[in-house]
Amino acid sequence: MEGSLMNEDLTLPECKYEYLDHTADVQLHAWGDSLKEAFEQCGMAMFGYMTTLSTVEIKQVEEIEAHGHDLESLLFHFLDELLFLFSCDAYLICSKLVITEFNIEGEELMIRCKCYGEEFTLGKHPQGTEVKAITYSAMHIVNEPETNKFEVFVIIDI
Amino acid sequence: MVVRSYNDELKYLEKINNYCWRIKIGFQPNMKVEGCFYVNSALEKLMLEELRNACRPGMVGGFLPGVKQIANVAALPGIVGKSVGLPDVHSGYGFAIGNMAAFDMNDPVSIVSPGGVGFDINCGVRLLRTNLWEKDVLPVKEQLAQSLFDHIPVGVGSKGIIPMNAHDLEEALEMGMDWSLREGYIWAEDKEHCEEYGRMLNADPSTVSMRAKKRGLPQLGTLGAGNHYAEIQIVDEIYDKWAACKMGIEEKGQVCVMIHSGSRGFGHQVATDALVQMEKAMKRDNIETNDRQLACARIHSEEGQNYLKSMAAAANFAWVNRSSMTFLSRQAFAKQFEMSPDDLDMHVIYDVSHNIAKVEEHLVDGKPKTLLVHRKGSTRAFPPGHPLIPVDYQLTGQPVLIGGTMGTCSYVLTGTETGMEQTFGSTCHGAGRALSRAKSRRNLDYTEVLRKLDSMGISIRVASPKLVMEEAPESYKNVTDVVNTCHAAGISNKCIKLRPIAVIKG
Amino acid sequence: MFKRKLSALQYPQCDFVNGKDETEFRKVIVWLEENKIKKYKPESRPISDIKSSNWKKSFEQYKKDVCCPVKSDTLIELDWFINLALQKEYIQNKSKYEKHSLEILKSPNTPNVVPDNPLDHLDFGSKDFENGVKAIAQMLQILSHPDPLITLKAISKLICNRLNNNAIKNPEDYVIKGAPFPFEDAIKGYDLGDLVLNKAAKILRLLYIQNLRDLQTKSNELIVSVQSITANPKTDTKLGKVGK
Repeated sequence: MEGSLMNEDLTLPECKYEYLDHTADVQLHAWGDSLKEAFEQCGMAMFGYMTTLSTVEIKQVEEIEAHGHDLESLLFHFLDELLFLFSCDAYLICSKLVITEFNIEGEELMIRCKCYGEEFTLGKHPQGTEVKAITYSAMHIVNEPETNKFEVFVIIDI
Repeated sequence: MVVRSYNDELKYLEKINNYCWRIKIGFQPNMKVEGCFYVNSALEKLMLEELRNACRPGMVGGFLPGVKQIANVAALPGIVGKSVGLPDVHSGYGFAIGNMAAFDMNDPVSIVSPGGVGFDINCGVRLLRTNLWEKDVLPVKEQLAQSLFDHIPVGVGSKGIIPMNAHDLEEALEMGMDWSLREGYIWAEDKEHCEEYGRMLNADPSTVSMRAKKRGLPQLGTLGAGNHYAEIQIVDEIYDKWAACKMGIEEKGQVCVMIHSGSRGFGHQVATDALVQMEKAMKRDNIETNDRQLACARIHSEEGQNYLKSMAAAANFAWVNRSSMTFLSRQAFAKQFEMSPDDLDMHVIYDVSHNIAKVEEHLVDGKPKTLLVHRKGSTRAFPPGHPLIPVDYQLTGQPVLIGGTMGTCSYVLTGTETGMEQTFGSTCHGAGRALSRAKSRRNLDYTEVLRKLDSMGISIRVASPKLVMEEAPESYKNVTDVVNTCHAAGISNKCIKLRPIAVIKG
Repeated sequence: MFKRKLSALQYPQCDFVNGKDETEFRKVIVWLEENKIKKYKPESRPISDIKSSNWKKSFEQYKKDVCCPVKSDTLIELDWFINLALQKEYIQNKSKYEKHSLEILKSPNTPNVVPDNPLDHLDFGSKDFENGVKAIAQMLQILSHPDPLITLKAISKLICNRLNNNAIKNPEDYVIKGAPFPFEDAIKGYDLGDLVLNKAAKILRLLYIQNLRDLQTKSNELIVSVQSITANPKTDTKLGKVGK
């Protein structure tokens, strides 16, 4: 689903994530002005662990779709889709994620997301750490519109 | 979860002897059997420290300490014997890493758990010997390290260089090392010296998702990242001369090659897919566990069977993967020394897997039983005379390969009768992390770590500098402590110590 | 189809049989039954009427009566029936065919040598024989077995392996080198509560391991010979990037 790139697609969002301590693995902590942004940032945090994001140029865009039966499983499948995007076919490493549909009401939750980046190329992109899998362990989603608090915590297996 | 003070928790733990602790029933709810763990005084401190930290007031969510995880596993349906923690145990996803548990195949409620295998299915270690000596290798150490690095694809985003299409992959998943043999990448003797002869017969590629196959295809024949490595090692010490001799290790100073890798993205995806499937199965069959991460399904349910079949396919993938890197290592050595791998006597000493579940026969209370043995961060260690170990090791016991971490020693142990009785023929797998990755990166300096390795005479080629800090020896438990505990407890015997002179990492 | 087999049975149109054709299939089956298999009496052969609408049913019954295990595939079925006919034919005329067997055909051309082995005239039960074997065994330092024939076997083994021409010329090629294996200490793991029994069990275990080693070596050789046909390892560095 590659589309043509506009100028505004090339501007990068600010960084709203960090890596927290965990014995064997790493915990991603991301936040934002909305849950949607926290999700986007969380995806970026994962890509940021695989390479240095400043080396990634935006050359192509792919669209992914993820479903879930609750917020946790939605986040899990969203990150799993992103990991899959990197692992084969497109080998896409992203420096920008834009969620275009964010349906978190009802039985079937759904995300549609545009992923901006380029094919991962050895030599150009420094090799970070490989992400084996997303886990539910200690997964925590803060969704408090009243206090404008939106945060996600995810442990990725590496 | 029961909330108790650290001192109250300690009441459930009993030190049986200098190397073994018992976890009494009641430490966690619904425990069906007791737990136990093997530690010496140094490792004991780390273990209890982890528990104490978890008992601090205000600790919510977060990760369960290893000892709690061992107890939660003891509460799973169908478990027999004990839930065992090996000396390198640390907190993991669901099961602790360094945890072994066996379930009765003939008990209809018994379960299989992907968390009891781990994401990197059939992650394992392979050791090749050579007839070279340290003095032959030292002058060309840098070139050899570079040559290995030039032959083996490593790190994030690397792709395999052995041509493969989707059809080849299907065959490889079904045939395991028999595929590598047929295609001529390895030798007949390699198969002989491999757990399961390098092929799990119940593998069924049709139970594996397209997603896993797509992730797996480009990664076949790649080392990976994280704690995976290929090392050139020197025999540093021989504890059991006779057993070493059976493995073709004659004297100190002999050169070996160790490969530590697994089933790559393929296995990771198989595990992820299974976890999703099993959540549904747990609801349907009303399986209750203490921890949501202990996703599992009844062995004889459709989900359970599908997982075992796809896990076997992932195990086959890992063996083909290690075989491909064996081929590439042999090529690298052959080019450097202008001799054929045959003339360099580059035989596989053994190949162990330390993340796997297998159907095995064991004695439980004196009666033979068929069990599904989960080993996560734990290595099979069968005693002399066991029918499932290669003929060459019938008298010595199965070789157990314990990979160190970047810059530390590795060990070869052998299986014992005591291990067969106490731990269902299982022992440790490596060092096990002590520091978190983030902490390692904060506390350790990249150049400092490299300088230290250099002063130890270790050449290093690494794809990611970040990893150098995360994987520095300081981040891990001391592998010598781990191995000595296994030896002292009698669950395996020390045979050979190896020290690295060149490391290739992701 | 089945030309060789059918012509051996002297089936009239053996050159043109097409087993996939239903009518021909029925024809051959009926011919085989009527002329060779003869399971039923001539007057009660329900399968003889190949045009009958009940033929399939009769055939199923027929298969049951002759215990044909084949299901579904008509060609395999046909082959099975032809083989059954051949078998009947052979058993009936066994003596005739045996005249043409390889051993008997050979004999007229080879001179008939009457074996004149002095050992054949020996009385293995005699005291003389027993003492003689004992004497040779002593000479060769072989332990005697109560049964002199077994002792003789051991003697023959030693002579063939160690005292043949080559072995006498180059003994170092035949004498097994290496340190003696302390099997009584080295093999652990079981105790039968009797020293002698333990020793025997350990020796048996060693022999078993040796057998297993031979088997494994043979399997390896087999794999290698198959590899010589199938193996074609290649790498293509264009597929992925290695080194830096």
